[in-house]
Amino acid sequence: MTWSRESKLNGFLVLLSVMAAWELVSRTEMLNPLFFPPMSKILRSFFSLVFSGEILAQILSSMRRAAAGYLLAALVCIPLGIIMGLFNSVYRALEVVIETARPLPPPVVVPVAMLFFGLGDGMKVFVIFFSCLWPILLNTMDGVRNIDRVLIHTARTFGLSQGRAILKVILPAASPQIMTGLRISLAITLILVVISEMVGSSDGIGYFILDSQRRLKVDQMYAGMLSLALLGYLLNQLFLLFSNTFLSWHRGMLRSDK
Amino acid sequence: MSLSNHERGSEVKSSGRFNFSGLALFAALLLLWEFSSRFTPAIQPYFPPASRVIHSLFQPSLARELFGHLLDTLGRFLGGYFLAAAMAVSLGIILGYFRFAYSLLEVVIELLRPMPSVAIIPVAILLLGIGNSMMVAVTVYACAWPILINTIDGVRNIDRTLIDTGRTFGLGRWKILRRIALPAAAPYIVTGLRISLSIALILVTTSEMVVGGSGLGFFILDEERSLHTSNMYAGIVVVALLGYALNRLFIAVETKAMAWHRGLTARGML
Amino acid sequence: MSILDVEGLSKSYRQAGGESTLAIENISFQVNEGEFVSLVGPSGCGKTTLLMCMAGLIAPSAGRVVVKAAEVDGPPRNLVLVFQEYNKSLFAWRTVLGNVLFGLEVKGKPAREAEEKASYLIGLVGLDGFERHYPWELSGGMQQRVAIARALAYEPEVLLMDEPFGSVDAMTRLELEDGLLRLWKELGTTILFVTHDIEEAIYLSDRIYVLGRRPSRVIQAVEVRLGRPRNQLTTRADASFMELRNEIYKQTAPRLSSGW
Ligand SMILES: Nc1ncnc2c1ncn2[C@@H]1O[C@H](COP(=O)(O)OP(=O)(O)OP(=O)(O)O)[C@@H](O)[C@H]1O
Ligand SMILES: [Mg+2]
Repeated sequence: MTWSRESKLNGFLVLLSVMAAWELVSRTEMLNPLFFPPMSKILRSFFSLVFSGEILAQILSSMRRAAAGYLLAALVCIPLGIIMGLFNSVYRALEVVIETARPLPPPVVVPVAMLFFGLGDGMKVFVIFFSCLWPILLNTMDGVRNIDRVLIHTARTFGLSQGRAILKVILPAASPQIMTGLRISLAITLILVVISEMVGSSDGIGYFILDSQRRLKVDQMYAGMLSLALLGYLLNQLFLLFSNTFLSWHRGMLRSDK
Repeated sequence: MSLSNHERGSEVKSSGRFNFSGLALFAALLLLWEFSSRFTPAIQPYFPPASRVIHSLFQPSLARELFGHLLDTLGRFLGGYFLAAAMAVSLGIILGYFRFAYSLLEVVIELLRPMPSVAIIPVAILLLGIGNSMMVAVTVYACAWPILINTIDGVRNIDRTLIDTGRTFGLGRWKILRRIALPAAAPYIVTGLRISLSIALILVTTSEMVVGGSGLGFFILDEERSLHTSNMYAGIVVVALLGYALNRLFIAVETKAMAWHRGLTARGML
Repeated sequence: MSILDVEGLSKSYRQAGGESTLAIENISFQVNEGEFVSLVGPSGCGKTTLLMCMAGLIAPSAGRVVVKAAEVDGPPRNLVLVFQEYNKSLFAWRTVLGNVLFGLEVKGKPAREAEEKASYLIGLVGLDGFERHYPWELSGGMQQRVAIARALAYEPEVLLMDEPFGSVDAMTRLELEDGLLRLWKELGTTILFVTHDIEEAIYLSDRIYVLGRRPSRVIQAVEVRLGRPRNQLTTRADASFMELRNEIYKQTAPRLSSGW
């Protein structure tokens, strides 16, 4: 194997040097070790949190909320988006309401949800649901609108009823764009679960990170962030795996167009 | 997690025609809100009638207070957004153009990118306290990602011939970056900027909620806690208007700026 | 016994500006059961429009279509249209086999039986070995054959085909013509075939309806009394083939035949 100037190895070397430098400035107290505990301590804290199962418990409660809000949004928005894409009159009727609610930054929904649902899971699920609505809804609608008329005619000439045409033709034809919406919403879900746990919660990974900071367990705070990054990475990879198997035809088609 | 260019959402194109059914449904929902609240006093603490919210919006004392919070939020938003744009575009162009520079930072970027950016708030509180600088800092951090990733993408996708054209005209590396790479990557950069617009507002309001003190995020949470719910809803209306206005402004500027960009590339290539 | 009756069919499209384009005007003709009938006409004369009306996909402005004694309002169960834009009509998320299976699934055929039938038809259109390929991995002519196999698998009593060989090279085209005739004979389907290639129409058909320029009407009905099975070499060299061709050319392009 030859070493090239642009090798990925560079990146790892840089990462290692940053970690070493961090360790050094912390140990020599060039930077306040209260804010920058030695890297070794952070990593030790990370592993002990992982092996004690504590971080897993926090992540699990976060994931439960995230999954509920996200799946609920998908369950509502994909059918509604299809209907809006098929029937312009439905879209027109909902347009003003959607355009009024959409510019609202999702975090400000947290206080409202707290009023109605208290500090429990319901509040977080609602907030995540609300913030995931738009990308899924609008991408689904767009995807359906962009389906070629010939495809719809094909379904009809084979005698498909409207319901079966939606399942067998419209849904698969719009699936690449639906997947885009789902993917954007996945990123939003993770952001909102952390926000809602920071603002009103007594568990979950977002709460854990903020709480560690407040109690000045700074190594735990960094360890929590590290596990959150890993979680984000894992979820993203999982989604990619899912969409690659599901949409392998679409990737192939895009490649063959080039 | 940040979003790259391929993941941009769809933009709804408003037809501009008078939308009777849309407005009718909107009005019906407002009336439903008004009367369901009016006739069930038990829920009024959470759900005051719409008229009361509108009424409190026009109370001079509250309006003044809201305006102050609005200015705070807007200041943090603008500071964070523009700082992020300046830094991320510059860095993105360098990382997109010089593979070596990218290879150095690649692992760090891939490590930090999947972390939801709001998780940086506790660190920022620790290092910067709970003032404006902390809120601006987290906004910069979060907004930088989409802009950075899209700029790198944009520079990488520039047609080699465009750069070679610059070379044959004897432009140096830095001139090529400024005069060719920047405008040619502009469409991608704009996508990043558009995504960051809503992210900036999310980060500003969230940090205002977490650390308190001032700003619309703080105001809304604070009014909720003291159960002044019609004030809370009034605050939400103001945030929605702010979000809407920023979006429209962005679209207006984008339309202008991209026309400028077309002109520049045309001249640059001649 | 006529299986397909078109009676006084007209269709005008409303344009965005408020004007309307009259695409076809007062078209009437018949197709008998088991016949192979072609429609020829210049580009833009309204052939696709006519087929769409017959397939119940768009509503005519006037007149009616009757399939097996039932007036068409909505897609008839026993009729399938093979679209001119075959590449847009195939399901990109299904393989060749999946596409051909589509109509059988719709009909609720048991999986085993459906798969056998689909494989058989894929073989008939000469695509064995491509069952697991996706449509976008195939050439245009191959895609068109998938679309034809998909329609035939559905076993419609009437098959409408809109310029199915429009985008294939001359060699492949001859093969596809013979293939189609074999299938037609084997399956006993009634076929209405649209083309603007007059020789192709003669080679394939029992009867040809010639359409004029837009707004088009039937300007001539030509009986083709050539024997079957037909042969690309001998049939096309037949004297009556030439005669028919000249007759139709005279109708459609008078300037061409007058030596202009
Ligand atoms: N959806 C439509 N809206 C408006 N006008 C249309 C529409 N479809 C077709 N037309 C018009 O109707 C006329 C006939 O079109 P049609 O597609 O039926 O022709 P065609 O005979 O199939 O042509 P070709 O041989 O090129 O396929 C054309 O003038 C066309 O402009
Ligand atoms: Mg046509």
